[in-house]
Amino acid sequence: MEPTTTNIEKQTAAGVDVTTYDALVIGGGIGGEEAALNLANMGYSVIMVEKDYSIGGKMVHLSKVFPTLDCSACITTPKMSETIRHPNIEILTYSEVRGIEKDGKIFNTSIVKKPRYVIEADCTGCQLCEQACPVVVQDQYQYDLVGRKAAYIPFSVAAPRVAAIDIENCTLCGACERVCPPNCIDFTMKEEVIDVIVKSVIIASGFELFDAKKIPQYGFGKYKNVIHAMQMERQLVPTRPYNTVLRPKDGKMPDNIAYVLCTGSRDKTIGNPICSQVCCMYSIKQAQLIMGALPMADVTIYYMDIRAYGKGFHEFYIQTKNMGVEFVKGKIAKIDEKDDGDLVLHYEDIENGGAPKTATYDMVVLAVGVLPQNNIPELFKNEVLELDEFNYVKQTDKLVNPGMTTIDGVFVAGTSSGPMDIPDTILSAGSASAETASYLRRL
Amino acid sequence: MSNNQNDQKDPKILVFSTEKISDPAIDLAGLLKLHYPATAYTINVPCSSGIKPRWIMHAFEKGFDGVFIAADGTDCPYSIECTTKTGELVSKVHGMMKEKNITPARLKMAAICSVCAEPFVKHMKTFHSELSAMASN
Amino acid sequence: MKQKIGVYICQCGSNISDYVDVDKVLDSVKDLEGVSLVKITMFSCSDSTQNEMVDDIKNEDLDGLVVASCSPKLHLPTFRNVAIRGGLNPYNYVQVNIREQGSWAHSDNPKKATEKAIQLVKAGIERTKYSNALEKTVIPSEKAVAVIGAGIAGMKAAIELADMGLSVYLIEKDFFVGGRITQWEDLCTVEELASDTVTRLYDEVKSKDNLTLFLGATAENMSGSVGNFKLTINIRPRYIKSDFNKDKIEELTGKCKTLTPNEFDFGLTKRKIVFKTYPGALPDIPVVDIKNAGDDINIINEFKDHLDLDRKDESITVDIGSVILATGSDPYTPKVGELGYKEIDNVVTFQEFKRIIELSPNGKLKYNGKDIKSVGYIYCVGSCQAEGNMYCSRFCCTCAISTSLSINKRFEKIRFYHVYKHIRTYGKQEVLYDQAGRQGDIFFKFDEDEEPVVSMVDGEGTITFNDLLTDGEEISVSPDLIVLVTGMVPRDDYKRVAEVFKAPIGRDKFFNEAHPKLRPVETVIDGIMIAGASQGPKSISESTKSALSAASKADALLHKGEIELEPTLAMIDTSLCEGSGLCIQACPFNAITMIDAGGKKLAQVEKSACKGCGWCLAVCPHDAIELAGYTNNEMEGMIESLITV
Ligand SMILES: Cc1cc2nc3c(=O)[nH]c(=O)nc-3n(C[C@H](O)[C@H](O)[C@H](O)COP(=O)(O)OP(=O)(O)OC[C@H]3O[C@@H](n4cnc5c(N)ncnc54)[C@H](O)[C@@H]3O)c2cc1C
Ligand code: SF4
Ligand code: SF4
Ligand code: SF4
Repeated sequence: MEPTTTNIEKQTAAGVDVTTYDALVIGGGIGGEEAALNLANMGYSVIMVEKDYSIGGKMVHLSKVFPTLDCSACITTPKMSETIRHPNIEILTYSEVRGIEKDGKIFNTSIVKKPRYVIEADCTGCQLCEQACPVVVQDQYQYDLVGRKAAYIPFSVAAPRVAAIDIENCTLCGACERVCPPNCIDFTMKEEVIDVIVKSVIIASGFELFDAKKIPQYGFGKYKNVIHAMQMERQLVPTRPYNTVLRPKDGKMPDNIAYVLCTGSRDKTIGNPICSQVCCMYSIKQAQLIMGALPMADVTIYYMDIRAYGKGFHEFYIQTKNMGVEFVKGKIAKIDEKDDGDLVLHYEDIENGGAPKTATYDMVVLAVGVLPQNNIPELFKNEVLELDEFNYVKQTDKLVNPGMTTIDGVFVAGTSSGPMDIPDTILSAGSASAETASYLRRL
Repeated sequence: MSNNQNDQKDPKILVFSTEKISDPAIDLAGLLKLHYPATAYTINVPCSSGIKPRWIMHAFEKGFDGVFIAADGTDCPYSIECTTKTGELVSKVHGMMKEKNITPARLKMAAICSVCAEPFVKHMKTFHSELSAMASN
Repeated sequence: MKQKIGVYICQCGSNISDYVDVDKVLDSVKDLEGVSLVKITMFSCSDSTQNEMVDDIKNEDLDGLVVASCSPKLHLPTFRNVAIRGGLNPYNYVQVNIREQGSWAHSDNPKKATEKAIQLVKAGIERTKYSNALEKTVIPSEKAVAVIGAGIAGMKAAIELADMGLSVYLIEKDFFVGGRITQWEDLCTVEELASDTVTRLYDEVKSKDNLTLFLGATAENMSGSVGNFKLTINIRPRYIKSDFNKDKIEELTGKCKTLTPNEFDFGLTKRKIVFKTYPGALPDIPVVDIKNAGDDINIINEFKDHLDLDRKDESITVDIGSVILATGSDPYTPKVGELGYKEIDNVVTFQEFKRIIELSPNGKLKYNGKDIKSVGYIYCVGSCQAEGNMYCSRFCCTCAISTSLSINKRFEKIRFYHVYKHIRTYGKQEVLYDQAGRQGDIFFKFDEDEEPVVSMVDGEGTITFNDLLTDGEEISVSPDLIVLVTGMVPRDDYKRVAEVFKAPIGRDKFFNEAHPKLRPVETVIDGIMIAGASQGPKSISESTKSALSAASKADALLHKGEIELEPTLAMIDTSLCEGSGLCIQACPFNAITMIDAGGKKLAQVEKSACKGCGWCLAVCPHDAIELAGYTNNEMEGMIESLITV
C-alpha cells in the first residue's frame, strides 16, 4: 500500500460515514508522539487517543533529564507542538478507546471523548475562568504539592492549552461561565462516541508509578516529609511551585535529604521483581539539581546497585559522586517519624558488615518504580493481546521485530513493553513506527 | 552608561561563532553555567572561513575592544582546509588593522569544537583581561 | 526595511526571568524604530503562545518577528513555522539567544545578564529590519540508501528500507553477514541461536529485489549532500567463482595445509586459507585468503579454473540520498598483563569465553584440553574506568550472568564466582541476577577505586580483592578459568569510517547522535544516521530498535523524492564583479564558474552546488558577493546595535 496523501479518507460503511486512518496511536506521551510523527512524516495518516487533557505524558512533567540536564519541558514542547500541528495527525485528548475489533485487514475502533465542559476550539487559554472559580482542590499535575481550581488549564505547557472543568469538584456556581470571554464553557456537554476504522494500532500507553503507600513501613502518606520522586521532580522544575525545595510538613528548607532507591522495584514481596531502569538515574539527577537549589544541603542515596548503564550515565554518576553526594549500599527496613517531623531511617549497611544502623534526615524521597498499565488487553474485543510474565505487552519477536505483539497489525512502543528511559522510548517508538509502515505497505 | 569607569575596564568583545560547531559549545558553556564576561556578544555565521574582513573592521570602528573568532577547526563540516582558511583571513585582517593603528592582538582566533565549553570560557576570560590591560596602558 | 516587527521575550518558565529582568528588556526595546509590538511570554514555544503569535502576525499585520528565548538550535524551526503559519516568510524571523548565551551564561550577574540581553535583542531587531524573504529550493533526491555494515542492525535496517520501497545498498566489509552475534551463537537473555536469527534475516535480504548486498566491500569516499550523495565502494575479490563447483572447492580445501589464526575464534583455533568463518556462515561460499596462502599457493593454482584469481579490487559508485552507519563495535582487548591477560594461561576475555563454550564438546566445558568446573568473572574490564573508557558497556553484566545460567543447562554443574564492581541487570534482566544467586553463584563486590589483582598463587591463576559484601575482607579465589568481562569499544577503523562520512564522534569515541535524548539515531550531518552499537553499547534488541528508527527517519527524508534546501546561498552582484576568479578558488564545492557576459567575465553561482559556507565572500576583493541571510546590512546592523547603548 502506498501512503495515503490526504489526511483523512472518508469511507462509507453500511450507510454511515466512518473515517479511516492508517494508524491508531494509543497514548500521547513521548513514545506515542515519536511513533505518530514518524508515521506522519512517512506520509501515513494517524489518529492519536490520549486519555489525559493534554499530550506529553510523564516527560513534560519532569524537571530536567539525565544525563544532559536539558530542561524537560523545553525539549518536549516542540515535539508536542509538532504532533498537534502535523497535518497527518488527528488528536483526541481526554478520550479513551472503548473497543477495537479486528475485521480482516482493518480494525473497527470505538473511541469515547469525555466531556471537558469547555469547547476546545473556542477556548483561548486566558485563564479567566480559573481566576473566577472559587473551588480549590489538590493539583494532580503537581502531584498534590499545591492546589488548583475546579476550572483550570491543566498545566502551563499543556497541548492543547485549553481549560477544563473538574466536574466532580465543581459546585456549579457558574462563576466561570460568566467571565469566559469566548463563552466556551458548556455544562451540557456529553460523552461522545466516535467510530473510526484504522489499519494498524500502536500501543504507547506508558507506565504507572508505584504507589508508595503499598510499603507501609516507609510511612508515605502518613509522614508528610516522606515524598515520592515525581513530587520531587515537580519541586525541581523551572516553574516550580515554591521556587526552591521545601519540606511539606513545615515549609523548612531541608539540610539533609535521603533517597530510598528500588522503592517498589526488585521486590518480590510487592509483586514486582524487576528493576525499573530509570530510578537510579533520576535520583542521581535530582541529587545534582538539589545541590544546585540548596547548595548547603547534604544528599545521601541508599541503593542496592547503581544502574548507570546508558550512554553518558556512568560518567554522570561519577560526576555526582565527586560533587559530594553520598552513596550508601544499604537496604531500608523502615522509616520512623520524630515529633519535629525529622525522619529516622533504619537500614542494613551492606558494605560495612551488614550491621543494622540508623540515620536521621529532614526529608526522604522514595525513588518509586515503574509499573505496567495492564488494562490494555481489554480494549481488544475479538483478539488476544498477550502480556508477558511481568504484565507488560508481550513482544513476540524481541530480537528481530521488537514492536511485534500477539496480534498482527498491533505494535507496541515505549514503556508499554517494559521500563525504559526517554532515549530507549524514542528508539522503541521509532522501531514500532517502522514496523507499522512496512506492515501497512504489505497490506 | 558606557562612559563610566566601570565600563572602561569592561572591554566589549564580539565573538563570531559558527552555527554547527562553536556556537553549540558556547551554548553548552551557558547550560553548564560556566560564567564568562557578559560583555562578550556572539554573532553566528555558517563557517569561520566565511567572515568578511569588513565586518570585523566595522566592529572595531564602532567601538568593540576585541573580536574573537571561534573557528570551526578540523570539525568544519564544509572542508578540512577550514583552519588554514580562517588563519589566512585573520592575517589579512591583522594587516588591515595595522593600517588603521589598531593593535593586532585585539583580533584573536581559536578553534572551538562543539563541546569545547570550558576552553571557550577560558579564552573569554584571558582575552577579556588582556584587553583590560591594553586599555589601562 | 521591516517596519512592523513583533518582539516576544520569553521567560522560559523562570530559566530566563530568574536572571534577566525581562520587563527591563521590554522597556528598552519597545520604542525602537520598526518595533510595533513587544510581549513577555511564559513559554514562547508552548502551543498557545505560538497560536497567539500567529494571530498577532495576522491581526497586527507584522512584517518581521523576533523571539528572544533559548538557543536557535532548539527552536529556530519552531518559530520559523509560526512565521509561516502567520503568513510571514520564515526568513523574516530572527531568534535571539538570551538563555544559553544570556541568563544561564551570566547567572552570576543578573544586572549584566540583563544588559547583555537588551543588546542582543536590539541586534536581533536590527537584523530583522534588514532581513529578506527567502525561498527554499527544492531539488530531486535519490530514493536510495546505503547501509554500512551487515550485522543485525544493518541487515534489519536494510530489509525495512527495502520494504518501504527505497533502493538499498548493504555494504559489508567482511565476506560473511551477521557481524558479531554470529560469534556469540547462544544468545543472552533469549532462547535463540544467532545462526537462526542471521539465517532468517539473510533470507529476507536475499528476497528483496531492491536490496543489493556487497560483501568484502568498504566505503571509500563520499561526496555531495543529503538527498544526493555519491558513494564510492571498493570491493575485494572473494576469488571463488559465483557458479562455483562445490565438490571441487571442497577438494581444494582438503588439500590446503597452511593454517592461520582464526579471527572469528579470537585466535583460539586455526583456519585454512580457503575458509568460512564458521560452518554455518552465510553466504555459503568460502573465501580465499590469498595473502596468507604461503605454500598453498601452488595448490590454489592447480584449481585456478574454479577460481577467479585474476580478479582485482573493483570500485563502484552509487547514488544515494542517505546513509545508515551500522558498523557495530569491537570487544575491548585488555593490554598484555592487564589482570593477567596473555600472561596467565587460564585468563581469557568474555568474548573468548563465548567461543570456548561453542567450541567445547557436548557435555564438557574445556579450555586448553582441561575440564572447566569453576569460572571466576571479573566485571567492568575496560569499562567504567577512572581514566580511559569511563563509560559503562551496558550489556556485559547481563550477558555474563545470562551465560552463567545457560551454561549450566548445557554442561555439568559449573560453579561461578562473580567478582563485580557493579551489577547492572537493568529492567527485566534483573530476574536473571536473582536466578544466578539461587543457582548457587557466589557474588563478591570490589571497591570502585580498587581493582582486583590476578596473579599466580601456588601455580594457580588467582583473583585477589577486598570484598565489600563481607566488610572489606581480603578474599582469593582460584577458579579453573578466569574470565575478564570485557565491554564494547568502537570498531578499530571508526576513525576512517567517520572521515568518509564526516560522522561526528563523541567523547567515548562512538558515533555521536544529534541529541542524546530526542534524536538518538540522527547526526548533525543531514542524511547521516547511526544505528546499533556503533552509537554506543547496546543489546541485540536495542540495536534492532535503533536500526528500525534510523530506517524510519531515512524514509521520512527520502520518500517524497525531493528535498528542500536552505536558501542560504551566495549571490553575486554583477555590477561589482570584476571577474577576478578568487571566489572560484575559494569555493570548496566548485559551485562558482566564470561566464562570459558580452565580453565581461562574471562569476556565477550554481545554486544546487552552493552550500552557503560563505568562503567566497571573504576573499572577493571587490565585495561583490553577499550571502543570503548574512548580508552586509544585516551583519553590520547587528554589530552596531550590539555596541550602541
Ligand atoms: C520521577 C521520574 C523521573 C524520570 N526522569 C527521567 C529522566 O531524567 N530522563 C529519562 O530519560 N527518563 C526519565 N524518566 C523516565 C521517563 O519518564 C519515561 O521514559 C517516559 O516518560 C516514557 O514515555 P512513554 O511515552 O512510554 O510513557 P508515558 O510518559 O507514561 O506516556 C503515556 C501516555 O499515554 C496515556 N495513556 C495511558 N493509557 C491510555 C489509554 N488507555 N488511552 C489513551 N491514552 C492513554 C497517558 O496519559 C500518557 O500521556 C523518569 C521517570 C520518573 C518516574
Ligand atoms: S461552575 Fe464550577 S468551575 Fe465554574 S466557577 Fe463554579 S465551581 Fe468553578
Ligand atoms: S533503576 Fe536503580 S533504583 Fe530503580 S529499580 Fe533499578 S536498581 Fe532499583
Ligand atoms: S557560499 Fe560557499 S559553497 Fe556557495 S559559492 Fe560561496 S564558497 Fe561556494
